[in-house]
Amino acid sequence: MSDAAVVAEYRGSRRRWAFLAAALAIAVLPYVLTGNYWHTNLTVCAINVLLALGLDFILGYAGQLNLGQSAFYGLGAYVSTLLITRLGIPFWGAFAAGVAFAGLSGVFLALFAVRLRGHYLAIASLGFAVIVHQVLLNWISLTQGPLGIYAIPPPPPIAIPGLPEISFRDPVALFYLIAGFALLVYVLLDQLVRSPIGETLTAIREDEISAASLGINAAAWKVFAFGIGAAVGGAAGCFYAPFVGTLVPDAFFITESFSILAMVIVGGMGTLIGPVFGAILLTLLPELLRGIGDLRLVVYGLALTLVVLFLPGGLAQAWRLVRAKLTGAPVSAR
Amino acid sequence: MTATIVAQQAINGIVLGSLYVLVALGLTLIYGVLVQINFAHADFVTFGAFAAYFFMHLLGGNYLASIAVALAVGALLGWAINLTIFAPLRHKGSELLPLIATIGVSTIMQNGMLAWFGPIPYAFETPYSQRVFRVAGTFFTAQSLIIIAVSTLTIALLYAFMKFTFLGKALRAVAQDRETAGLMGINPSYLIMLTIVLSSALAGMAGAMLAPVLVLTPFAGTTVIVKAFAIVIIGGFGNVEGTILAGLLVGLIESFTTQYFDPGLIDIVVFALLLLMLAFRPTGLISERREENV
Amino acid sequence: MNRRSLLAVLALAGATIFGAGSAQAQDKTIKIGGLFPMSGPGSYFGAQDKQGIELALEEVNKAGVNGYKLAIQYEDSACSPLPASQAAKRLLDNYKPDVILGEECSDATLAIMPIVEQAKTPLINAGSSSIKITDPGNPYTFRIMPNEVMQGVDIATQAYNKLNARTAVLLYENTNAGIGNAKVFKDTFEKLGGKVIADIGFGRDVNDFTSIATRVAGAGKADVIPTYTLEGQGLKITQALAQAGVVKGGGGSAIQLGTIWLPFGFEQKAGKAAEGYVRIVQFDPTDQREMVKNFVKNFKAKFNADPTHLNAHAYDQIMLIADVVKRGGKDAQSIRDTLAQTKTFVGVTGSVEFDSHNQNIKMDTIHYMETKPDLSWNALKWN
Repeated sequence: MSDAAVVAEYRGSRRRWAFLAAALAIAVLPYVLTGNYWHTNLTVCAINVLLALGLDFILGYAGQLNLGQSAFYGLGAYVSTLLITRLGIPFWGAFAAGVAFAGLSGVFLALFAVRLRGHYLAIASLGFAVIVHQVLLNWISLTQGPLGIYAIPPPPPIAIPGLPEISFRDPVALFYLIAGFALLVYVLLDQLVRSPIGETLTAIREDEISAASLGINAAAWKVFAFGIGAAVGGAAGCFYAPFVGTLVPDAFFITESFSILAMVIVGGMGTLIGPVFGAILLTLLPELLRGIGDLRLVVYGLALTLVVLFLPGGLAQAWRLVRAKLTGAPVSAR
Repeated sequence: MTATIVAQQAINGIVLGSLYVLVALGLTLIYGVLVQINFAHADFVTFGAFAAYFFMHLLGGNYLASIAVALAVGALLGWAINLTIFAPLRHKGSELLPLIATIGVSTIMQNGMLAWFGPIPYAFETPYSQRVFRVAGTFFTAQSLIIIAVSTLTIALLYAFMKFTFLGKALRAVAQDRETAGLMGINPSYLIMLTIVLSSALAGMAGAMLAPVLVLTPFAGTTVIVKAFAIVIIGGFGNVEGTILAGLLVGLIESFTTQYFDPGLIDIVVFALLLLMLAFRPTGLISERREENV
Repeated sequence: MNRRSLLAVLALAGATIFGAGSAQAQDKTIKIGGLFPMSGPGSYFGAQDKQGIELALEEVNKAGVNGYKLAIQYEDSACSPLPASQAAKRLLDNYKPDVILGEECSDATLAIMPIVEQAKTPLINAGSSSIKITDPGNPYTFRIMPNEVMQGVDIATQAYNKLNARTAVLLYENTNAGIGNAKVFKDTFEKLGGKVIADIGFGRDVNDFTSIATRVAGAGKADVIPTYTLEGQGLKITQALAQAGVVKGGGGSAIQLGTIWLPFGFEQKAGKAAEGYVRIVQFDPTDQREMVKNFVKNFKAKFNADPTHLNAHAYDQIMLIADVVKRGGKDAQSIRDTLAQTKTFVGVTGSVEFDSHNQNIKMDTIHYMETKPDLSWNALKWN
């Protein structure tokens, strides 16, 4: 076997162990951090991880500044919930529909704005998020608007023959479902990113003009990335609704987009694992800092600014630096 | 009766629009030279408003002087954010990092103001906001007159500055091509700092004029910033005439949508317009610049 | 610090907390949880609630009740469903209160209700008007303030009969409480024979009311303008309506009708524009009852400000708990049961008697005030 192949296989098996370890960690966490309060926090982390992964794919891998992730989040939540409560469609069917709707909206927005660069796209996506939020808020006959949708049921229980029925009224079970799904999405995205598709996206992100000269249709790939990232965001929304049980449009205000962005940046955009930890850190940080009262959000903003100023690669970069220090090995560029 | 209503809403729209123009002008100027967006811009507006408020209520100053105070405070904030955020990040060449950093700054400012000033809305009264004039069935306050007067004056001055003074031309040179401008002996860093200070001063001043009209809480800026972004795009990033036109347009959209439809639809109309512009005319209403890669 | 000293500090901290906890238990304490907005746009509710509670606790704990002291722990519910749910869970997990007070905003209250029900802990609410809070009948949720139906029906009827109003313009914020209140007014008013000539809802982010006031002016002659919105927007609306010449304070003839959202002190901020405003207040500071006069005096002495209805409600909630403890409540379940039997409690905001849905049905909690030209209140004594 060639050296390269050996290294690749080594990395591959290390990756498999890492995924196993992650799955184990997810399984064990609810028993380490016990109580309703912590289980809620863990589930919120899982949902935020999903949101961050979706945005990271669009931003970190396709290089598109998407400030509209909150819109896809909200669309997933409302579409799936309305299908369930109004048309009686079973949960997983509504879930699929919600994800598809969000994904298609991402494609739609991308078609509009993808030929624009940088800040134009950012503002266009922001505008899209504003429109979606306002529609959710004002189309009261459809969405109930600020009156809210209450008593949203959890996913239906799963009965596996030979095992006791798994009810998702149990917060731990719900956490497993969402975190497990997030892990699955991570694995899939990881495969995608390391495939030729991922290389294409990286080429576009690094230098669009050169990529075009290689015959790559940058616009089409950007639309693709937007669709995937939006779909993942929509999935997060589909889980959010039954988890909280209450749906109001203000949960999907544009400031939510900024929070998700912060998670990706602090975690380290351009890596997949970074945003996972960014999401976990930024979800738990305000909770841990609650003792400071009014100032906790100030600290949150401060953390974000400082990371950007002094450690732009985020946690991922910090990790690389620490590892390099410990092993004495040279730090790789990525 | 209808003619009066139309006239009245036109007046309302122009007054509002002038305020939006002041806020958006700052954003567009910064973008012109720096190709960056300051997300905390709206919070400068709010902070300027609070500065004016406390100048009047704690120090007993008069309203017109408080506008100047807000201007100075805005300038200071602009200088600070350039020093801490824009300048250090400039050589990193990333489009996004400064933007994200300013999102952080915005969070810090809003919640800092919340902790400092409290959440209870402040009633910013000036002797001018109570004085009402009634002409031919329409009404407007002395405050509106001040808003229009100050805005027009500011815009005119700015325009003249950009077109006729050396500094103004240097600014435009830097906006068009930073490297070449540098080669011509212009110091881009200095000019960029100047632009940001100027823009933030405008924001602060806008705050002092907005506060009697809007509800003054630490979150006042959020309600304005999103429309400001829309205006900047509709008018064309970096384009002063376009911004003015777009600002007035948005103000009018706001008042007429309220009259004939529903206040809740304002944002939808404005942003639908924004998306349409992006789809069909991304350089904005009045394209004077040729964007490299819009 | 090195690891060993860190461990020592943690151990010490743990012992202190544990020790404090057991010390509390020996002192016989009733633990009260406070879910109020401390951050975000609703945060001034929380700040004022805290004041009222502080004053009440001071008074009650001077002598204690039946050998019990009252203690409170707050969590920030931020006037929004998700933070409120998390705050409620944290409170229940960590503090294990016997009774909970909260929230102010209807949306947040609706979100925490199922959580406290599952934990079998009673919730006393004094701030949310949505009918959905007591209508379905939740055995663990108690509301001492009149709900939107009680208020809406009453004010519409009074407007029609006592003010001879025949036309109305509805102005309200697009939230559960705003839309609900407006709808009740409209239904009642129209059933009596009145006509709603304009129905304008707006978001909490709307700032400029000149355009809205223009629209109201153009809608025709309005006798009354029921307004359901928070303080900041309410101020601007009133001023804009005066500028547009619609309301009395601006030379017009329309009378604004308001409810409990308007705080005491509104007139001073609104100025002349507020003249003629008629509103329901939950707390009448001119009330001549001994209890009220003492409350106002003590509040002023402690906080150097006049008490608002928020202060008063919070104060009454604590007093109600004290009354329940006096009647034998001592843990979550007994407090719940004793609350449900409340028939003759009297607070500074009025009397409390709960119906089968745990809604306070006493109408003396609804006081009407009219703003005089000198900006002071004239109690209309309609109830």
